[in-house]
Amino acid sequence: MEKPQRPGMWASTLSAPFLIIVLTLLFWPLIILAQRSLQPEAGKGLTLALYGEVITSSTYLRAFMNTAIISVLSTVLALVICIPAAIYIEGKGGRGRKWLAVALTIPLSLPGIVIGFFVILNFGLTGVVPQLIERVTGRRELVLAYTFWGMLLGYLYFQIPRVVLVMRGAISAISQDSIDAARTLGASTLRVYFEVILPALRPAIISASSLSLATGFGAFGTAATLSRGYRVVPLEIAAAFTENFKPAQAGALSLLLMLITTTILFGVGNLDTARTRRRRASTREGA
Amino acid sequence: MAASLPSQKARPDPVQQVGATFAWVTALICLAPIPLVVIVATTRNWADGFWAGGITMRWLAEGWQQISPYAWFSLRLAVLILVLDVLVGLPTAWLIARYDFPGRQLLSALTMVPIAIPGIAMALALILAYPAMRGDGRLLVAGHLLYTLPFFVGALVAPLSHPRLRELEAVAATLGAGTVKRLLFVVLPQVRGALLAATIMVVTLSMGEFNVSFFLFTPSLKPLPVELYSAYITGRVEQAAAITLCFLLFVIPATIALERLGGGRVGQA
Repeated sequence: MEKPQRPGMWASTLSAPFLIIVLTLLFWPLIILAQRSLQPEAGKGLTLALYGEVITSSTYLRAFMNTAIISVLSTVLALVICIPAAIYIEGKGGRGRKWLAVALTIPLSLPGIVIGFFVILNFGLTGVVPQLIERVTGRRELVLAYTFWGMLLGYLYFQIPRVVLVMRGAISAISQDSIDAARTLGASTLRVYFEVILPALRPAIISASSLSLATGFGAFGTAATLSRGYRVVPLEIAAAFTENFKPAQAGALSLLLMLITTTILFGVGNLDTARTRRRRASTREGA
Repeated sequence: MAASLPSQKARPDPVQQVGATFAWVTALICLAPIPLVVIVATTRNWADGFWAGGITMRWLAEGWQQISPYAWFSLRLAVLILVLDVLVGLPTAWLIARYDFPGRQLLSALTMVPIAIPGIAMALALILAYPAMRGDGRLLVAGHLLYTLPFFVGALVAPLSHPRLRELEAVAATLGAGTVKRLLFVVLPQVRGALLAATIMVVTLSMGEFNVSFFLFTPSLKPLPVELYSAYITGRVEQAAAITLCFLLFVIPATIALERLGGGRVGQA
């Protein structure tokens, strides 16, 4: 097989359209965003005042805490659910597994707002769960939709397909021989999980977590549909921009949020890249 | 690919059993809202329970009337985005897949950068940098293009760099096929599946995009998800369900097709 060539004059221009797009539509706007957040009033000097406001404002600090809590919690729950599920889906035999794979991919194509609406249909004031409970007990309970728990369900819903997808790509790293050996030596299923399966999946768990955390931090649609009081950072950005007309403040918040998501994705996500790059060459979900 | 399970085993494998339970329960939870949407959308008065007051098509008819202009707009936008993705993304994917040059890793990482940036930050940056371009929809196009490009490029790099394809091309070349002939009759048929997957992916991602659109839309240039959102916030639950159903009827078949083509992708929530 021939080795990759070096590009000639003609070939090196192939990426020109892409580079122009990224420079003009992404990097330049981000520079403007940073500049506006550092220099809120035109003509005056640079200042960190807006960032200081974020650090001293209890509202904004609370929002960052809330975002971290819901992202971490939904990520952990998604991992607990999806690792066993992925092992089963990638196992041998049966049409059932193929259908499961499709079923667990469907939530990927749903926008966050639709996921929020699903939670409302299930746990809203006239949701199906409260209605059923009312029929049995006479009282409407579990009206969770607009609480923290309803939001957590929404976040979990969009994390599941992402985590399943990354995990499915890594299941082949588990050695069935080790599982069999562990079981022959009398290990319980839980012990097999902790001592054989999870260590083998470590790199995938790291990429899945980084993807899932970053998605959670940046999620806007689900929160916009469901939040009544549990404020996350994307909601504060939207409020600062559209309701309070403070674009520079919204810019400062956006940059901080971006810093978090890019660190999670490119920093944490790449800790294990060297080891898994070859395997991931065909499944790029780790991003 | 899969964990190889000895099939001769007599007792059931507990790891597989636990996995089966988790997988089926999760799939059920993921899918349950879809029939629920159908039920609510066809119920006359949902507040009184399942099909209270009888089955009706009224919400669906009204819902479709309400959103069809936005659905057409979204579809047109998605097709435009697809064309731009092909023009911008395909040459880049080819360069990354086929050539070795200093900065190749960097270019490859650059194509993934938009995934890491929350849509809301991207939209805000675009508005602040080019306020004059919001009114005519150019920013909406820019936002959707940035959002979909990583997935388009990502879906094509691996198949384009596949060793088997390179071999086939080499064979065709030794048989005297020129560059154009090789592209049309060797490369294109081989990556057809990946191209189709990338196409479906870009169209569904763009049609469902909300985070960027919410900040960049104008009353006359309003994508479908923005209209969906206002139905969720202000409308009757039955009509919101009906509109959602129209949307699902489009995306779910697309997703199933995508999974069958072997492509999965990860958008923002």
